[in-house]
Amino acid sequence: MTDMQWGIFTVGDVTRDPTTGRTPSEAERIQDTVTIARKVEEVGLDVFATGEHHNPPFVPSSPTTLLGHIAALTERIILSTSTTLITTNDPVKIAEDFSVLQHLSAGRTDVMLGRGNTGPVYPWFGQDIRQALPLSVEHYGLLRRLWREEVVDWEGKLRSPLQGFTLAPRPLDGVPPFVWHASIRTPEVAELAAYYGDGFFANHIFWPSSHTQKMVELYRRRFAHYGHGTPTEAIVGLGGQVFMRRNSQDAVDEFRPYFDNAPVYGHGPSLEEFTSMTPLTVGSPAQVIEKTLGFRDYVGDYQRQLFLIDHAGLPLKTVLEQLDLLGEEVVPVLRKEFAIGRPAGVPAAPTHQSLLRARAASEAATPDATPTEGLTKQ
Amino acid sequence: MTELAVISGGLREPSSTRLLAERLEASVRKELGTLDIAAGSSFVELRPLGHPIIDAMITGFAAPALEEAFETVAEADGVIAVTPAFNASFSGLFKSFFDVLPEETLSDMPVLIGATGGTERHSLVLEHALRPMFSYLHAIVSPRGVYAATEDFGAPAQEGSALGRRITAAAADYARLVQGCGSHQRRDAFTEELTSMEQLLGGSDGESRR
Repeated sequence: MTDMQWGIFTVGDVTRDPTTGRTPSEAERIQDTVTIARKVEEVGLDVFATGEHHNPPFVPSSPTTLLGHIAALTERIILSTSTTLITTNDPVKIAEDFSVLQHLSAGRTDVMLGRGNTGPVYPWFGQDIRQALPLSVEHYGLLRRLWREEVVDWEGKLRSPLQGFTLAPRPLDGVPPFVWHASIRTPEVAELAAYYGDGFFANHIFWPSSHTQKMVELYRRRFAHYGHGTPTEAIVGLGGQVFMRRNSQDAVDEFRPYFDNAPVYGHGPSLEEFTSMTPLTVGSPAQVIEKTLGFRDYVGDYQRQLFLIDHAGLPLKTVLEQLDLLGEEVVPVLRKEFAIGRPAGVPAAPTHQSLLRARAASEAATPDATPTEGLTKQ
Repeated sequence: MTELAVISGGLREPSSTRLLAERLEASVRKELGTLDIAAGSSFVELRPLGHPIIDAMITGFAAPALEEAFETVAEADGVIAVTPAFNASFSGLFKSFFDVLPEETLSDMPVLIGATGGTERHSLVLEHALRPMFSYLHAIVSPRGVYAATEDFGAPAQEGSALGRRITAAAADYARLVQGCGSHQRRDAFTEELTSMEQLLGGSDGESRR
């Protein structure tokens, strides 16, 4: 059993390489993304997740199409998102897309839900950004029912009602994909995750670790408050951002132009300032190991770690080299080190198999529960 | 203890903006004293925060030094804000500080406004730039602000310096305002967001949770 899952998440930006001036085509970027995902499996990591965006310079507007293709080319890795927009996507379509993906990937699917913070995307999809919070709550409430109840009668405020609707295909083995709720900043998302006993994923890239600590603490406390277990039994994922070379100074020199021109934080703080304020690590594999091991000091033992490694115009070759280092030198050490001293009560990272086992166990514990597939409320 | 945060947007050393801020601070404390209110004060100089302010605009989070300035303002019971007048308005740096200051920090905050400039022709910057911005931020702006032109600093004190009289009058108004407002209740956006989410979830369609 893997206690912790290791992987990468991509934003899917098409960005000019500031060192060569070359911008890849959209076709190239999409194919590169597939190559990166296959490499994730090859080097022994566990998860590949893609963002969802609906405007240039980003390419992943249709994540389950991309992940369905990757599912056919891989055998082991979990395919996920970072994030799927629960506000602007129709929950019925999310349920359908991820059900199909779940079947195609033989259960190697989970989903990370987020609100999305690009203003115009809301009107493009007929929604109102001022309703982001009610949309998240209502859409997710419906999504859960579609995955858990055979026949759904539903009426809400923000979507047309459903009468006698049955999701097809039903989730694989009657078990919905595991859901993570992801946030950069907002406590509401931690509350939503805690309310339903779902996973909480802290972006952990753009903001200082003190903020991540506050959010994860809140999520763990509220998870227990809503009766899903103890705070240590909550399911936590973290983002992170690394750039490595064997020699630390080489990493700094090579990464600096990408950092300085990065779309999100470029032309702001220096690489050194950003490294000291946020979880970004630029240096040797040993430095990445050391910094990553420090994450659990402020969030507790957790379940999933995803790194961002393919943005800001970094060329494919460099990204694949990062994956080699992660797979060969970094993650094997981190797996061992994180296993040491991990308290017995900390759950392993959720998988389709672990959810199946949990369901079997809960059915064995309550023999009068209706075992009919798809009808069981969880 | 009433805590004052004094924000000075002056760029030079020595700075006439800082000088006006200091005189306002001293006068306000004196006026508060006559009302039997003990006051402490902390200065927030914007010039050394210039880079962190722009970085915060770009990254969305504040570096430790800027975070400390935000805390000083958020913990205060009153704010004295003074800027140089640039191009018919407050300085860009002064505005930028309030652009990155966390929302609602100044809600219900008594604010005394001040500005400096080369000539007295710019004095309406108080009414046309500072007052509307602080009103927008839901601060309670004291009725009398103080504008000091370069010339004001040269006027002999014994002639009952006009600037000194304006400072005293503004400080007296502001002290009464601070007294009336009492201790400032800090808004906690984190908890407010959480509470609204809790209510929203409580009112969702009642599906049983796991």
